[in-house]
Amino acid sequence: MIVVGTLASAIGIVLAYVIHWFPPAGSKQAGPIDTLWHVLLIVSIPIFVLVVTVVLFAVRDFRVRPGQELQDGPPIHGNTRLEVIWTAVPATIIACLVVYAALVLHDVEKAPADPASELRVTVTGEQFAWHYEYPASAGGKAVDTDQLYVPIGRSVHFDVRSKDVLHDFWVPEWRMKIDAVPGITTGYRITPTRLGEFPVVCAELCGLGHAFMRSTAHVVTQARFDAWIAKQRSST
Amino acid sequence: MPFMPPIVRAPGLVRGFVFFFVGACFAFGLSVVTRAAYHYSDLIDGDSITRIGMLAAPLFFLVGLGAFDYWFRWAAGKPTIPEDHSGHGARSWKDYFRVNTDHKVIGVQYTVHSFVFLFIGGLMAMLMRAELAAPGRQFVDSSTFNGLFSVHASLLIFLFVIPVFAGLANYVIPLMIGAPDMAFPRLNALSFWLLPIAGLMMLGSFFAPGGSFASGWTAYAPLSTSAPLGQDMFTIGVQFAGASSIATALNFLVTIITMRAPGMSFFRMPLLVWANFATSLLVVIATPFIASSQFFVLLDRALHFHYFDAGQGGDVLMYQHVFWFYSHPAVYIMMLPGFGIASEVIAARSRKPIFGYRMMAFSLLAIVALGFTVWAHHMFVSGMQSWIRVPMMVTTAIIAVPTGIKIFSWLATLWQGVIHLDTPMLFALGFVTMFTLGGISGVVLAMIPIDIHVTDTYFIVAHIHYVLFGGSVFTIFAGVYYWFPKMTGRMFDERLGKLHFWLTLVAFNVTFAPMHLIGVEGMPRRVADYSQQFAGLNLAISIASWVLGLSTLIFLYNIVTSWRGGPRAVSNPWRALTIEWQVSSPPPVFNFDTVPTVVGGPYEYGIPGAVHAVFKTPEVPAAAHAAAAPAGGDGR
Amino acid sequence: MEAAAIAHGHEHHGPPPANRSSRVDASTLGMLLFIISEIMVFGAFFTAYFFIRVVQGDQWFPVDGHKLPVATAFVNTCILCSSSVTLHWAELSIKKGNRNGLRAGMLATFLLGLTFLFVQINEYVNIGFAPHDFAQGSVFYGLTGLHGAHVAIGLTLLAFVNIRAFRGHFSPEQHRGVEIPGIYWHFVDAMWIVVFFTVYVL
Ligand code: HEA
Ligand code: HEA
Ligand code: CUA
Ligand SMILES: [Cu+2]
Repeated sequence: MIVVGTLASAIGIVLAYVIHWFPPAGSKQAGPIDTLWHVLLIVSIPIFVLVVTVVLFAVRDFRVRPGQELQDGPPIHGNTRLEVIWTAVPATIIACLVVYAALVLHDVEKAPADPASELRVTVTGEQFAWHYEYPASAGGKAVDTDQLYVPIGRSVHFDVRSKDVLHDFWVPEWRMKIDAVPGITTGYRITPTRLGEFPVVCAELCGLGHAFMRSTAHVVTQARFDAWIAKQRSST
Repeated sequence: MPFMPPIVRAPGLVRGFVFFFVGACFAFGLSVVTRAAYHYSDLIDGDSITRIGMLAAPLFFLVGLGAFDYWFRWAAGKPTIPEDHSGHGARSWKDYFRVNTDHKVIGVQYTVHSFVFLFIGGLMAMLMRAELAAPGRQFVDSSTFNGLFSVHASLLIFLFVIPVFAGLANYVIPLMIGAPDMAFPRLNALSFWLLPIAGLMMLGSFFAPGGSFASGWTAYAPLSTSAPLGQDMFTIGVQFAGASSIATALNFLVTIITMRAPGMSFFRMPLLVWANFATSLLVVIATPFIASSQFFVLLDRALHFHYFDAGQGGDVLMYQHVFWFYSHPAVYIMMLPGFGIASEVIAARSRKPIFGYRMMAFSLLAIVALGFTVWAHHMFVSGMQSWIRVPMMVTTAIIAVPTGIKIFSWLATLWQGVIHLDTPMLFALGFVTMFTLGGISGVVLAMIPIDIHVTDTYFIVAHIHYVLFGGSVFTIFAGVYYWFPKMTGRMFDERLGKLHFWLTLVAFNVTFAPMHLIGVEGMPRRVADYSQQFAGLNLAISIASWVLGLSTLIFLYNIVTSWRGGPRAVSNPWRALTIEWQVSSPPPVFNFDTVPTVVGGPYEYGIPGAVHAVFKTPEVPAAAHAAAAPAGGDGR
Repeated sequence: MEAAAIAHGHEHHGPPPANRSSRVDASTLGMLLFIISEIMVFGAFFTAYFFIRVVQGDQWFPVDGHKLPVATAFVNTCILCSSSVTLHWAELSIKKGNRNGLRAGMLATFLLGLTFLFVQINEYVNIGFAPHDFAQGSVFYGLTGLHGAHVAIGLTLLAFVNIRAFRGHFSPEQHRGVEIPGIYWHFVDAMWIVVFFTVYVL
């Protein structure tokens, strides 16, 4: 049974690794999160396999045989040692996972070493569209557009707001999301690491157009970003 | 009203509908008069009439049905009719359609009624899967789609899983603890009759102007406070369902505490009784919170309060805190009774005592206590104070420990047993494995960084169905098959039962397992349309879900035909020791001649000659009858 | 098997007497559990109060120049508290077999409760703001209104007790019908004190 269980777990873990779970990682924050996910898979699969294996072997070995129809099993009421083990082992696993997850959380939310270099974008959700505001700077006035452009490799902090109901600002490639809540400002930060265009998805039910509340996040080089924002500043 | 025919005067459905109509007129009048008093220009306002009507007409209906007849007489100080037990027991099918005070009749009413809603809610899932079979628009527009999943979830939660467990428990618990009935039989009847009201109201929302409620079963404000009229049918329907839950839970608690048979100490109670004891504690303490959350929504909607209006100083997140303070415990309300059923079935069908009985009971209580400390794990991305998240992650993950104790104890119970793999046992084992998977995905969700990415995606939908279908519904099937002989006096068809199990197990996994993947890949939940990249898997899911639907039809066929013409069941087909199996199938109207005396544990399998309870020969019944006013009979 | 045979052996006319497995009386226990539920309802309304006043940090009264009539509310609190006393006196009376004491006590309790409700409604009429003016108003009306509804329910129960008392029910041995609504009424009173302190005083 132990052999079968180990084998099945190993196969399960290999399979889980082969599957492409996530969309391609597009931010610095995606790394630790994806690693955490794989650790969780490595921990979870053996637990699940353990339960299934025990059930299957119990059914194979202890299924009623002809002539046993009226018999009972041995009257075993418990075993303190076993019970302590299966309380303590999961508790330990849980403790480790929780600490690890808290560290990852801290990691993905921590501010960049140089906060001044951070780009701040205000994201506003309304039924059923996103708006992005870039603050005024020495270079010119504030920009309000329905296009999201961010430069690669630079930490961006999004301040997320809502005009009407709850929305949720999510770019799957960046792995982070936060609700847009009327009345308060929420937010998160990421550092894009992959050039390209990614979908911005509204992930909180917000009414009829919820499924279509999409926009595009353009991750571009700093030079292209500067050019884009300069153009916006002059046009508005 | 002497001019009325007796069928209208006597309590019953007819009088109920007459009163219902009267109630509707009353609501109309009240609305018009109030508006006149406040000098409104348009006296007739459909929304306000409907809202008042939805609160008043059902109550009138219940009065007409006769749910309050006894209490009215009592309140007026009139002599209450001496208990002739006329409202007790069922002699024909008609007795199931009136206020009946027999816990067995009520149990059947509950169970059958809940299954009706399983099929309705399931049918909505089928429609949803048809829409989701391919990207783009198939059959329904997004407002209908939002309505479909909202009503699907609300019906399956509030009108299927929660009440069906209450129904099974209603049938079995008094028998198991050796009580002639529940502590408050009339309250018991009332709690059943509140349910069809809630169910029809939620279903009826499809006919409301503006469509059914469409803000999910979570009804987050401020989407729900600004939605069309259909939303009120959720808001008010939940009040009825909630009142029903609370009343039943109270009844269970009082019954279990005060009416156990002699010798039935707490640690001799079957684990099903323990499980319902724990569940009832959750219900009594938590359910008022969802009632209140919906009161707030109703007040915001109908009377323009500003609980959730950020512009006027309201607090949007407060809704979620109050809602989840109920709705997280609610997921255990939907699981703990299933744990109880699994314990009964696994012990009886592997012919071994439950391994670690006391830990099984304590872990239930641990889950109850922990269940109140984790609600904000549904709110990791809600924008609440960020310091709340880590403590909630810790408590959430800790729940894996008591739950693990239960899973491992079941495994140890199986080990070395004499396992009879019949339908109830198959479903119980299916539950143990599938719930483990769902539980583990729950622990994965508890890890905040993961939850941030996968929350509000199909990963959540996968978790929901692994715990609710693979967990709760599997145990419900196990329980229904297990007690079917007791409830109906007939055996079901074992071959069809096995077919049902295998088809369900396979179709269930093919339906819901791929949802984990598409969720992590980035498909949000609650959408009628999705990007091309998810098309293949979604089609597979849809096809599997229809097979899952078909497998449920096998169950229906099996139950209906067996009930009508199955072979007669013996009183104890599973050779179980608990008391409900020591009486005939179906049990006599008053359960016992005398209450049994409990002499040992409920699972003493393998000990030669061990029994759980004995029936002593009745001693001088006349004196006993006079001495003990039947508990609750004249309770209030 | 033998037991089963006995159990359905013959039709009979009533249930066997249930075993009393606890010293607590079933109806009292039921009422206490119901009160737990009720406390949780208030708990949810206090959560709303907490969120709007503390988490959200909204200014508590006076809001927009509207003050709460603390003095009236205090008098009203005294009225309600005294009704608990009269209720207790009524219960003591019936335990001693004093029917008239019961009647007088119950009637006084009922009337005091009714006065409370009238004062409360009068307060609403004259308070000068409506629930839809600002969130604090919603919380104020929500909490006091919820309590008012409970007073109304309590009064209904008290009315039943009064009817039965004047019809000559209850005796020193049989007065659960007074005690159980009584528990509820004491709860309504106690709850008011909490509401009064949080809403008017703090
Ligand atoms: C029957 C119902 C049920 C049950 C029992 C559970 C059980 C659990 N649930 Fe689930 N949950 C739901 C129903 C349920 N849930 C629903 C309906 C939602 C979605 C609501 C919505 O938004 O619509 C939800 C959502 C939900 C979320 C929020 C997701 C989100 O929206 O972002 C989270 C997050 O923490 C969560 C966690 C858990 C955990 C940790 C458990 C634990 O109790 C599970 C414990 C069990 C085990 C872990 C398995 C057995 C244990 C072992 C074999 C021991 C060893 C194990 C380890 C060491 C890991 N659930
Ligand atoms: C106990 C609870 C329960 C149960 C049993 C089910 C059962 C099913 N659920 Fe549901 N579901 C929820 C609780 C439940 N669900 C909840 C809480 C949500 C979240 C809602 C929200 O976001 O607010 C949800 C959401 C949900 C979604 C996501 C919607 C979205 O976010 O867009 C989907 C999508 O596939 C789904 C599918 C199914 C399917 C295919 C079944 C099947 O298992 C159903 C099988 C049963 C039947 C089919 C009935 C029997 C058959 C017939 C009536 C005959 C017709 C047969 C044919 C036409 C073949 N459910
Ligand atoms: Cu905006 Cu969903
Ligand atoms: Cu939860």
